Amino acid sequence: MFQISFGEEGAVLVEGRLDAAQAPQAQEVLDQVIATCVLDLGKLEYISSAGLGVLLRTHKRLTGAGESLKLINVNGHINNIFMYSGFDRLFDIQRADPPQ
Amino acid sequence: MQQQFGRSLNELTNIVTFTDQFFAQHDIDLSLRYIVDLCVEELFVNMITYNTETRADILIEMNPHEHSVEVCLTDFDVERFDPREIKPVDVNVPLAQRTPGGLGLYLVLKMADSIHYEYSNRTSKISFITERK
Repeated sequence: MFQISFGEEGAVLVEGRLDAAQAPQAQEVLDQVIATCVLDLGKLEYISSAGLGVLLRTHKRLTGAGESLKLINVNGHINNIFMYSGFDRLFDIQRADPPQ
Repeated sequence: MQQQFGRSLNELTNIVTFTDQFFAQHDIDLSLRYIVDLCVEELFVNMITYNTETRADILIEMNPHEHSVEVCLTDFDVERFDPREIKPVDVNVPLAQRTPGGLGLYLVLKMADSIHYEYSNRTSKISFITERK
């Protein structure tokens, strides 16, 4: 199950599993973003390289226009993938609060 | 536990269901789940993307061990491709020079504890092991 939608305050909400089958849907939505944008990954359970590619392409396009993509509420698993991929040095990333 | 899957991205959902069953049936430590999911998807997608000379299903086998999981993906009637021989991705280059290509197998090589490759009679078999930390 994968969902991507625009939230009330302009953030893009991403939920579920962003795998190679869902990446085109995510790309289609993010291609509509033309200014600095917050991507709320609080409900993202899984991301593969296909999903990373969507984020990278979007961030590069926005950065080229003087804008950027900020990733918030990133859980531990997803953050590990970002670190292995070097995304922690490319994106502004805000980790999720640890569970109480 | 083993199952064959067609050469389509739509099979990823069925692979997740298969993995769900394997983890539940063998009471596998869930800390291994993310790495298994990621490595299986990356290897499967790589096979269906680049091994286009065959229409044969891909066989996925999962075997439990005391502190680890072994997963094998077998692709039939294809050319040799050893993922361990790929050129490493430089994840330290600036954004302008980064491209998404190659990241999938790079992640498999980084995250799996060991990877084994066999090629015989046009059959390509990639195995990986992930261990409980």
